[in-house]
Amino acid sequence: MSGERLIVVEDEAHLAEVISENLELEGWRVEVLGDGAQALERIRQDPPDLVLLDVMLPSMDGFAVCEALRGDGNQVPILFLTARSSRDDRVRGLELGGDDYLGKPFDLSELILRVGAILRRTQWFSSPSPAGDELRLGDVRIDLATLTVHKPDRTFGLSQKETMILRCLAERPGEVVSRSEIVDTVWGYDAFPTLRTVDNFIVRLRRLLEPDPKNPRYIHTVRGAGYRLTP
Amino acid sequence: MKSGARSLKVSLALYVVIVMLFFTLIGWWVYFFSSKGDELAEHVELSGPLNAGQYSAIHEQLGEWASMFFFEGIFLGVLLLASVLLVLRAVRRELVLNRQQRNFLSAVTHELRSPLASAKLYLESIRQGRADGEKAERYLAHAQEDIERLEDLVEDLLTARRMTGETAEVHPETMDLSGLVLRRVERFAALHDHATVELDAPAAVMVEADPQALDRVLENLLGNALKYGGAQPRIEVGVGVDGRSGLLTVRDFGPGLQGADPQRILEPFVRGKDENVRTQPGAGLGLFIVKELVGAHRGSLRIDDTLDGGGTRVAVRVPLTPGLPRNVRPTHTWGLSDDGPPRPSAGAVGGASRETPGQAAPPGGQEQQL
Repeated sequence: MSGERLIVVEDEAHLAEVISENLELEGWRVEVLGDGAQALERIRQDPPDLVLLDVMLPSMDGFAVCEALRGDGNQVPILFLTARSSRDDRVRGLELGGDDYLGKPFDLSELILRVGAILRRTQWFSSPSPAGDELRLGDVRIDLATLTVHKPDRTFGLSQKETMILRCLAERPGEVVSRSEIVDTVWGYDAFPTLRTVDNFIVRLRRLLEPDPKNPRYIHTVRGAGYRLTP
Repeated sequence: MKSGARSLKVSLALYVVIVMLFFTLIGWWVYFFSSKGDELAEHVELSGPLNAGQYSAIHEQLGEWASMFFFEGIFLGVLLLASVLLVLRAVRRELVLNRQQRNFLSAVTHELRSPLASAKLYLESIRQGRADGEKAERYLAHAQEDIERLEDLVEDLLTARRMTGETAEVHPETMDLSGLVLRRVERFAALHDHATVELDAPAAVMVEADPQALDRVLENLLGNALKYGGAQPRIEVGVGVDGRSGLLTVRDFGPGLQGADPQRILEPFVRGKDENVRTQPGAGLGLFIVKELVGAHRGSLRIDDTLDGGGTRVAVRVPLTPGLPRNVRPTHTWGLSDDGPPRPSAGAVGGASRETPGQAAPPGGQEQQL
């Protein structure tokens, strides 16, 4: 795990300096930007392996940058770094498609661990799945590599998180996968304030993939244990 | 927050008093009519049924009382309504203040966390052996700057709190604005010799103000002019009289507000947006403190960046001492610049001269009328 390219978007000169120099010491290549709009431009142009994104930025805040990137379909992993650590902000950052969230001030070792964990998860996701790239649920065909769903009547895209959850379930068909296992694989150990956010994603997936979301045929809830996929 | 809570208390007390008056009045009516009824019954018992004349007299009397009661009722009803409106207004103001306080707190936390985070990371890096030699030196120096920034912030916060909290008070006295400004400008120019400071002030402008508070106002304005005035800042300071106000102006020749909202930058923790502002130290409390202090004097504050020659001018008005002759003749113009000690460059046209003796007198003087 080295040589990955990271972009640090942080307008406080001192924080940018100490973060980037420490990440470089771990063997990653680091680029620092201090402005939201400029960062968006740069990431669009040449997406890195991970973006460390401050929320309060000049010209465009971190949430907006994340939203714009996800709107483009850009799935570059994002770790939010922010001094606003209210619960709502946390949930908002993650639901906008952020991968993890670190509240300032944080420990140096925690930062390095989280960056490493996100890079590993991305690697897991970009490596070919042992279950294969294609998942069939009745007449719905899901391409896990291109994040697309083919229904008889239409084709549409899934977000990276949705696809990761699906793949996590599909790699162990018929088995119960607990919500905390899903969180671990898809987001990392304590990124979420509550496991309920997984439920929100499952509800969405059912709406997209199940013929009758109220009575799921493929994605089952196992009360008190987790979720099970039966293709 | 203090004035809001007080106005709520006053309105509520008023409301209670008016409601009590209302009930007293109703009680009085009941008592009045029942006693009149008793009187009448007694009269009938003693002297037999009323004749026609007595009957119409009583009727007339009753009509008079009824209209008196009617108008009393209307009057109190209006009072009651007014006091309800007052209470509502005070409650609304209280809610706004609460919200402002919450925003203030969240902004404070944010401003404290950034320097805290970087200081912590610098020190951790050194302790974990990730930085040594020159790099460690640099990390220590930066961590110290972060801590100094925290220190400044805490200082500013305490000042800001004092002004919005229970003990927020200014103690106005009769004082000479010109003298105060002269002393502060001289000290400032001596400390910052890369800046050119020009002062234009009459001999004495007597105002009703708190000298410490005004000194703080001037210090903050000069600090801003220095920070945002470019590499070799030129600062013009003016003292004068405008109507019934003593006027203090501080102008720089920097890039101006660059589109920042002049009202918004008076709010706590709001700073201009461009790079030049954000790279300067500060928490966005300076102008907020100025606004609060000037407000406590019942003065006014005006920011203008649409001037010929560019830059930003902040004009502060505080009440003149009433009854004194208004000395508005231009008497002193000092130029203080980087070459050497404070250099008097203008003369006393009249009036008492101060610590700085006058020399040649360039034209100019009272030009800060807005």
